[in-house]
Amino acid sequence: MRSALCLLIAMLFAAGCLTSTDQSTHPPAAGGNSSTQLIQLETQGELIIWHTFSADSKEEDVFIRSIAEFERMNEHVSVVITRVPYSNAHTQFMVAAQGGEAPDLIRLSSDQLGEIGEVRVDGFPLLEDLRAHLTPMDRSLFDERALHAMKYGSELLGLPASQDCLSLLWNDALFPKGAARPHDNWTIEEMLEIAKNLTAYEQGPEGSKVSQAGLSLPVKVPYWWFPFQSGFGGRLFDEYGSPSLNSSGSAESLEYLFDLEQKHLLMHNGTQRENMKTHFLNSEAAMIIDGPWNWATYETVGRLNVSQTLLPYVSSTGERMSPLVTFKGWSVSKRSQYKESAVELALHLTSVNNQRNYAIETYTLPTARVLYDDQRITSNPVLSGFIEQLQLGTPAPTNRAMSLVYGPLSTAFDNVYSTEIAMDPNFALQAAQEELISKLEE
Amino acid sequence: MMSKSFLLLILMIPQLAMISAAKGDLEFAVDGSESGYRKLQIEIYLEVVNEERDLEIWIGMPNANNTTTWELHSIIFARIANTTASTQPDPGTWYDDGWISVEGGIWEPIRRNQNGSALAEIVGAQSAAIRMELTGMPSGKEVRVGVLDHGANASRTFTDKIAELELNSINAISSAVDDAPPPPNTSPVLFAIGSIGLSLIALLATFRWLDAKDGRTSSRSAHLYIAPALLALTILTFYPVIYGMWLGFTDADRTHLGDESFVGLANYIEVFTASGFLRVTTFTLIWTVVNVAFHVGLGLVLALILNQPNIRGRVAYRTALLLPWAVPSYISVLIWKGMLQPDGILNDILGTNIDFLSNPSGARTVVIMVNIWLGVPFMMMSLSGALQSIPTDMHEAARVDGIGSWSRFRHLTLPHLKSAIVPLSLLGFIWTFNMFNVIYLLTDGGPNLWFGEPGSTDILITYVYDVAFREGAYGIAAAWSVVIFMMLLSFSWIYMRKTSAMEAVS
Repeated sequence: MRSALCLLIAMLFAAGCLTSTDQSTHPPAAGGNSSTQLIQLETQGELIIWHTFSADSKEEDVFIRSIAEFERMNEHVSVVITRVPYSNAHTQFMVAAQGGEAPDLIRLSSDQLGEIGEVRVDGFPLLEDLRAHLTPMDRSLFDERALHAMKYGSELLGLPASQDCLSLLWNDALFPKGAARPHDNWTIEEMLEIAKNLTAYEQGPEGSKVSQAGLSLPVKVPYWWFPFQSGFGGRLFDEYGSPSLNSSGSAESLEYLFDLEQKHLLMHNGTQRENMKTHFLNSEAAMIIDGPWNWATYETVGRLNVSQTLLPYVSSTGERMSPLVTFKGWSVSKRSQYKESAVELALHLTSVNNQRNYAIETYTLPTARVLYDDQRITSNPVLSGFIEQLQLGTPAPTNRAMSLVYGPLSTAFDNVYSTEIAMDPNFALQAAQEELISKLEE
Repeated sequence: MMSKSFLLLILMIPQLAMISAAKGDLEFAVDGSESGYRKLQIEIYLEVVNEERDLEIWIGMPNANNTTTWELHSIIFARIANTTASTQPDPGTWYDDGWISVEGGIWEPIRRNQNGSALAEIVGAQSAAIRMELTGMPSGKEVRVGVLDHGANASRTFTDKIAELELNSINAISSAVDDAPPPPNTSPVLFAIGSIGLSLIALLATFRWLDAKDGRTSSRSAHLYIAPALLALTILTFYPVIYGMWLGFTDADRTHLGDESFVGLANYIEVFTASGFLRVTTFTLIWTVVNVAFHVGLGLVLALILNQPNIRGRVAYRTALLLPWAVPSYISVLIWKGMLQPDGILNDILGTNIDFLSNPSGARTVVIMVNIWLGVPFMMMSLSGALQSIPTDMHEAARVDGIGSWSRFRHLTLPHLKSAIVPLSLLGFIWTFNMFNVIYLLTDGGPNLWFGEPGSTDILITYVYDVAFREGAYGIAAAWSVVIFMMLLSFSWIYMRKTSAMEAVS
């Protein structure tokens, strides 16, 4: 027994020593000769970076090459790369940051910043405000809209590296000769008519099933609803930033969207993101509403002759469907011990050269203003088409409401979509509006 | 030769005139002590501003060749007064701040654009002072700061500018340090080490007391031998449970983790009064009971069939039936998800176009069926083993006595299987009650028909995940977890008492 107690005391003592060692290596918060220590750390740094590119994707390949380039330029810095899933990168980061284990740099989407921006640990935010780190000339690289999207309140929480939005893609091979094709000044009625003409059915024992979708999109996903909502005159938030899910046109647009699948039978029942992609790849969908992120797959794997057209106007309102524009960028952890190196790396990853490489190799849409007029970008029909669509898009606001809006909307959509419930869209969106407001008040 | 030198002199005269003019009515000073982390503050003094002009601020940093690399930092446009007074943002809300004082008057904020240009409305003033924050400076390193002054739209070559900057710049250091957060709070770690240590001491002391009570005096060293196992138990089991219970009494959430406060029973009140509590608990019970009943029932039937002495291809059947158990459950569930899509193989076979997962009743039925499919092999294998341990002579004697097969099963097989069925069903109940994978991967708790409540197919454990990791309410999630734990503890206790399970096992 005595031996066991001695062992225990020895272990506790060792643990105490370890803890105190850990504290002594951390730079002091203020005062003293901390700047010298900071320089030493800067010159011996190992940066940990979390990215959210798909495994073995072209994007990841370009990313790894640009990191290698940074390491070549800065021999004293080594970069440790970790891949995290895009959908919950922000939650993983929040948990890690609260436990003091956050990476120095992380790739986040602008609509995830609102949630992180709220969080405080020991009174400090989780992400570094980058305003003091950039010279005005550094900032001037970026499209003002993109930079603004990475701000939460007045703080700049990330450097925008790319932006994306939805647009209409179509497979020319599925259009009969002489058939009407999408064009940039078309209306939603034209889109419906073209889609109807392109939809084909097969007869099964329980009735007909769609064999070729005229138009395919995951109708139950709010992100795909936003362009319809704006086209019908609705808005997610009013001019003061308050939720307006029940605004005029919202219910009408939701009904119209679900009718595309349930009434007009233009697409396979229950189409989700992956189904849409698979159907398009297999030439089972003539038109889809999708972003640029799958274009390389459609071209290389599907070997499709893909074209892109701006989303149409809604005749009843005269408004063009405006997709939500989100931005992805690099954020620095507030607790990073190598902030200056981390900011340098973020600047490197968002530099004009790197953005150009991403754009040309992966169809990632740049945020560097100079690239909008770059000949290699403008001569590429995909990039120039999507950049035109971006100009007609609506940037997602970087606030808490935006990060909370998906939950209530998904519930509303499930209620309207479910054949057992089939709730009226007006009631569903009104309830979603009330739920969102109550969440914001919590 | 003569004509070349003369030409060079002629070309240089305008440049020299420009530099001296810039020096003539412009002075500046730089301060790095008060301006903030990675910032310097520059003050530029101008005399008689009688034309529109551009002031370029340049930063020079020493490079590896012991020379200076110059980069343009920002530009200040001196323009006609009152052009943008109404659009000035409040200080502190823009990227960096600037102020202006005209003819010794008060300091007024000036507008600065994202691209680094600032608009100072000073044309016509006899004197003006501009104070600007220079961001993006290296912390604790000396840099050179220079200001170039020229009229609007004037242009000079880069080489000319650098030459002028080398002559007319000053050194400065941004000495303010980062307002970095304090080191990670080590008190939870110390708390963990302390509680683990105390648990270990308590366990060892209890054993010591029990030994003394029973008169065992020669087993002292045995405690040392089992200490590593006890340590592992306290770290991996006792401490997480105790910490989870503690969290349930705090307001820990995404904004309060590490500095949470004690809130008493508030979280438990929130759990029991939560709308949807009864619904999710009821579905959890239905989910568990139906699954366990089918697991045990189907597992027993299959085990009995495979236990028939005259069955052919027993090994092949057993292997086939074991496959759902052998394949990782998340892979099986994702395959099921694909098969259940409207364009999945199930609809193709049936010739239908049903979206099984979009309606609540369909989704509930499907998740239960998939979990039954997943759980049967384990029960079948376990009960097969138990069946083989029943002595065959008893069955033969009963058969000789003319007892029917149902009566033999009812009065011979089943009583002998009780020792296996009772703990297996208890285990199955606990596993199924906390089965996360199937629902999370198949429906993610949906369809969600109630705002702010559990989804149609949510069970307690999947809902707790949402509360903890989607809503970030760690304290409330911990309270839910304790409630789940208490439910399972009560059920297990009652079940064991009613079925005398421990006796059966012993």
